[in-house]
Amino acid sequence: MKLNIFCQGGSAVQRRYSVRVWTANGLYVLFTVFTAFSIRYLHLHGFWAYVAAVVSALPIVGVLAATGAYLNQETDEFQRSLGVQCLLWGIGGTLSITTIWGCLEGMVRAPHLSLVWIYPIFWVFVGLSFPVVYSRYR
Amino acid sequence: MKNRLKVLRAERDWSQADLAQRLEVSRQSVNAIETGKFDPSLPLAFKLARLFGMRIEEIFTDEDGVSSGS
Repeated sequence: MKLNIFCQGGSAVQRRYSVRVWTANGLYVLFTVFTAFSIRYLHLHGFWAYVAAVVSALPIVGVLAATGAYLNQETDEFQRSLGVQCLLWGIGGTLSITTIWGCLEGMVRAPHLSLVWIYPIFWVFVGLSFPVVYSRYR
Repeated sequence: MKNRLKVLRAERDWSQADLAQRLEVSRQSVNAIETGKFDPSLPLAFKLARLFGMRIEEIFTDEDGVSSGS
């Protein structure tokens, strides 16, 4: 069984979701490189450095909004259910790992985990959940 | 929830893909419903019933295998 939102030949909603996600990912890379370059080499600081840092993260917010829009617009309820299940695994895994790591940081002084890692950790768990969720329906 | 989708589909010589196209869902959806791993929503159940010209309770049966309408 394939996950249609990541495969060619999916529905119009799934194709639209893929375009939105890849566009947002591209903008994220672009904004992040530009902001890092500006702060390091153009010595951007103060208010505009804050603005640039926030702008870098906005495409990530866009991906989450696109995911919400996909779930809202997907007319195939089974595909929507699979998507929701994968996202729930992602949320559960991320909350678990970050909470455990928070305890390690607070109690045994483990290295600090930057908050920017939460987003990739979330999608790693979503990705790992695909085979688990989909194997239930084979 | 058990159902008679596979039989009804076979009677009409439809593949899972054919039924999926008529329902405007993915083939995976039809397979999941047919094997009882996914229970369709009421609107989709009505759509199935209309497609086969039957009542919902003639297609789906509850966990005990007793038709809800009988």
